[in-house]
Amino acid sequence: MRRPNHHSDQERPVEPNVRPNSSQNAFFTPQTAFYGQPNDPALEMERLTSNPFLRVGMKAVEDGMKDITGKTFNALPDEMKKSVSSIRYYFAVDQAYVRKKLILILFPFRSRKWSLDYSADEPVPPRVDTNAPDYYIPLMSAMTYVLIASIVLGTQKRFTPEQLGTHASSVLIWNMIEIGLLSLIFYICNIHSKLRLLDLIAYCGYKYVGMIVVLSSYLITHSLLAYYCSLLYTGISISFFLINCLRLQILPDTSGSQAYNVNRNRRRVYLLLLVTFSQPVFIWCLTRHLIVT
Amino acid sequence: MGFSFYSVIEAALLCINAVAILNEQRLLSRFGESGNQYTTGYADEFHQTGGAKQQLLTLIRSVRTVMRVPLIAFNIVTILFLVLFG
Repeated sequence: MRRPNHHSDQERPVEPNVRPNSSQNAFFTPQTAFYGQPNDPALEMERLTSNPFLRVGMKAVEDGMKDITGKTFNALPDEMKKSVSSIRYYFAVDQAYVRKKLILILFPFRSRKWSLDYSADEPVPPRVDTNAPDYYIPLMSAMTYVLIASIVLGTQKRFTPEQLGTHASSVLIWNMIEIGLLSLIFYICNIHSKLRLLDLIAYCGYKYVGMIVVLSSYLITHSLLAYYCSLLYTGISISFFLINCLRLQILPDTSGSQAYNVNRNRRRVYLLLLVTFSQPVFIWCLTRHLIVT
Repeated sequence: MGFSFYSVIEAALLCINAVAILNEQRLLSRFGESGNQYTTGYADEFHQTGGAKQQLLTLIRSVRTVMRVPLIAFNIVTILFLVLFG
């Protein structure tokens, strides 16, 4: 997020060069994408830009990159453009949000307010609202899980480099299977809720945080008791966290006509419980093979 | 535990094949539905209990209609791969 040497940012082609949607300008302006303080890097920048050849070269590279990314972005069909910008919503995080969210996942018992904030009929990006789902934490924790699993295998002397690939692909595939099954169940039971597919992907990704905690507790203590205790606690806290998060999304909020909706309500409750309690089961299944008694 | 992408693709292909070779009449007589497949679901707000079956049948029928031709191509490609590369 904050890089001390800004000259490497000049060669990175990614975020500040692509124009975001106008409705999200308030959150994604290039000024807010950079968090760096201009004190030290200014010195290096002066040293760099005082060299005219370097300046010309860097400007050429920058223009070229802007051109390429602009062209590829505009060449996408409209639908993909919309989905790219809607996925970008999930990556608008900062360190305070990540810290708060991690604490919330691992200790959700104190929080009182679980509803999402909305601004102008759109959900507010995660940087502003702690309760909003994001993709950064699931992605990073999935990668960390792969690494920690490899470390655990290494301490048991069963590590080969292809285990990294095996674990990564199994993480991806189990995620896809889970999301696919859940979307199928949502569709078959004819439940229309506020929960979008992208949100569901984010919520199903929070279990990797639990997996990391479980694995690291096993790694540090090498005792089965610590593994099962942390599994139990992580299961409880993730279930609590997800029940509270999804309760507002899946269950209908206002009770309009209760007489007609009884069956649908019950189905929604079952679905909510299914989503929530399948997470600890997944955690257990995906860490079981790493534990050696 | 160690899934490869190939095994997932194979599993998905087998599932879609299973859906494609279903016999609709026997399936319907098993479920007990007769001819009311074409009633639209506009009354979603009121009656929900039969909705799951309707949705499942609609899903099965749409998968069969959409995937009939591409399935032939996928099957041929997979058979060729398996024969050539084992």
